[in-house]
Amino acid sequence: MHPQERIRRTLEGKPVDRVPTFCAMMEDRTFNEILGKPLIPQQLVFQNPITRSVMNKWGPQITQPIFQPVLNAALEKRIKGAAKLGFDSTWAIYEESFILKDSNTMLRVTGSVFDILEDGYGNMTYMYRKPGITSREDFEAWPHWPDADDVAHRTYKFFKKMVKKYGNDMCLIGQGSAYGIHESLLWTVGFERMSIWLMREKDLVQRFIEITEELCLKTMMAAMDAGVDMIIQTDDFAYKSGPMINPKLIDRVFGPSYKRLIKAVHDRSGKFILHSCGDNTLLMDTFIEWGVDGLHAYENTSNVDIYKEKDIHGDQVTIVGGVGVDYLLTDRSKDEEIVEEVKKLIHALGPGGRFIIGPVHSLSSIPAHKMKIMLDAVETYGRYPIGNS
Amino acid sequence: MKDAILDVQKAIIDLNIDDIRQLVQTCLDEGIEPLAIFEDGISKGLEMVGEQFEDGTYFLADLVMAGEVVKEAMPLLMEKLDRESSAKKGKVILATVNGDIHEIGKNIVGMLLSVNGYEVIDLGVDVPPEKILEEVKRSGSRLVGLSVLLSTMVGSIKEVVDTLTEAGLKDKVKIAIGGACTSEKLKKEMGADAYGETAIQAVKIFDELQASL
Repeated sequence: MHPQERIRRTLEGKPVDRVPTFCAMMEDRTFNEILGKPLIPQQLVFQNPITRSVMNKWGPQITQPIFQPVLNAALEKRIKGAAKLGFDSTWAIYEESFILKDSNTMLRVTGSVFDILEDGYGNMTYMYRKPGITSREDFEAWPHWPDADDVAHRTYKFFKKMVKKYGNDMCLIGQGSAYGIHESLLWTVGFERMSIWLMREKDLVQRFIEITEELCLKTMMAAMDAGVDMIIQTDDFAYKSGPMINPKLIDRVFGPSYKRLIKAVHDRSGKFILHSCGDNTLLMDTFIEWGVDGLHAYENTSNVDIYKEKDIHGDQVTIVGGVGVDYLLTDRSKDEEIVEEVKKLIHALGPGGRFIIGPVHSLSSIPAHKMKIMLDAVETYGRYPIGNS
Repeated sequence: MKDAILDVQKAIIDLNIDDIRQLVQTCLDEGIEPLAIFEDGISKGLEMVGEQFEDGTYFLADLVMAGEVVKEAMPLLMEKLDRESSAKKGKVILATVNGDIHEIGKNIVGMLLSVNGYEVIDLGVDVPPEKILEEVKRSGSRLVGLSVLLSTMVGSIKEVVDTLTEAGLKDKVKIAIGGACTSEKLKKEMGADAYGETAIQAVKIFDELQASL
């Protein structure tokens, strides 16, 4: 069975030959182990005095012509690495939401500030630093709001190339160049300020939602035009013990946008997976009501009970994820522990279908060979009917 | 209890930032002591917000709003409160550990501790253990709260414990940990003294640690 068919049928609740696998993006360390390390480590490229001087002086100007192609190459390697390792599907993201400010800083076009860092393995990565908008005045003065049509055009080109190169080997689950509407707001103004703005600056929140919804919609549609049928959108609504905001408020403020996005995907015969970190137990009914076909991640470090969720919602939504990255998919685990956990997840969640197994997230600490052990275990124990392997 | 104080309590519970100042002023105009307004109105209201968080009615964002409502009210009371008589319970140093930059939980803990009588020294994020040791020595604080979200950074908790041990201070300083990847098991593994699953538990945890000093 072709991976594309395996993924689609699983999201539709139809029988398949084997539990499908999903790669939750692949960080540089992991794909370098699979594809071979670059001749010149990224750290040397980005952290030598000449590059730093150029980035400090001309950061914004070199973003599109120089920085974006470098980023695009890394984004392709994430897909290539997943394909080579043998995943059925991968989170394929086209990321064009950054402006290089200087050698230490990137700005997200929707208003947040990121650090450029070394990941501990000689590769460059980025991490959220702080809000970029802290007042109404900042909001009005923000100069980098995205041109959604422009970004959508380049999203289309990227995915067209990726589908051509990797579409025969695996199912690309695409995310356009837009992060989640709620998490974008959270990063842009900070959690404390978002909590207040939701009550007291409703017009700004609404305007922000409109900007990010347009970016999400147009880039999703661009990916689908390019041949990507499965869409994934990240939006972290929860933390370790539950939703950050009252679920009723989440539904009221962000629900209408998500319903529109999901309908647009469904109208084109696509499927929609929502990624949300943390314990989303109290939000599951809301997400299902929005129309999601699958939910990722069911983090083992959160309070969500993936097994209970199978019982409660297993016939309404496809569980995607389940394999921990805090210990299991790291150098610290024993190989047999991975096999045992994969077996346990498959035996509990596989029957009845609607389960796609994979890491709950991406981290630089995941060695490629641990992922391979996971995939081999799925091949051994994941054939339907479960239990006959 | 006077209706005016109950109105203040209710405003905190209802996250009513618009009316809180007027309600506090009403209490003052009626001659109610500022300390009573704080303890029976604001602090009690916050306690009830905490209970609603524990029972799942309120969420993190509501805790933040409760903090904002309190911040709106406090300037009126601070003018009147005798600083001598409102002795601080103790000093707590808060930090997100070395290598981690997440701070939402830490900030909420800081707010809750502050309105419950602690002097909070917030060292921010990505804090090296040496800086925590330096602050312990400088401030005389015997209570440290460490926040960590990234599972790859849990070792930083041990670094703090080891740094304090090498300085001969570990038996004098109590460390509480919290954050997405923390647990009771991690607390034991790292040599910390307490673990809090939610921010709301922070006040009780530090009250207990303070009592054990």
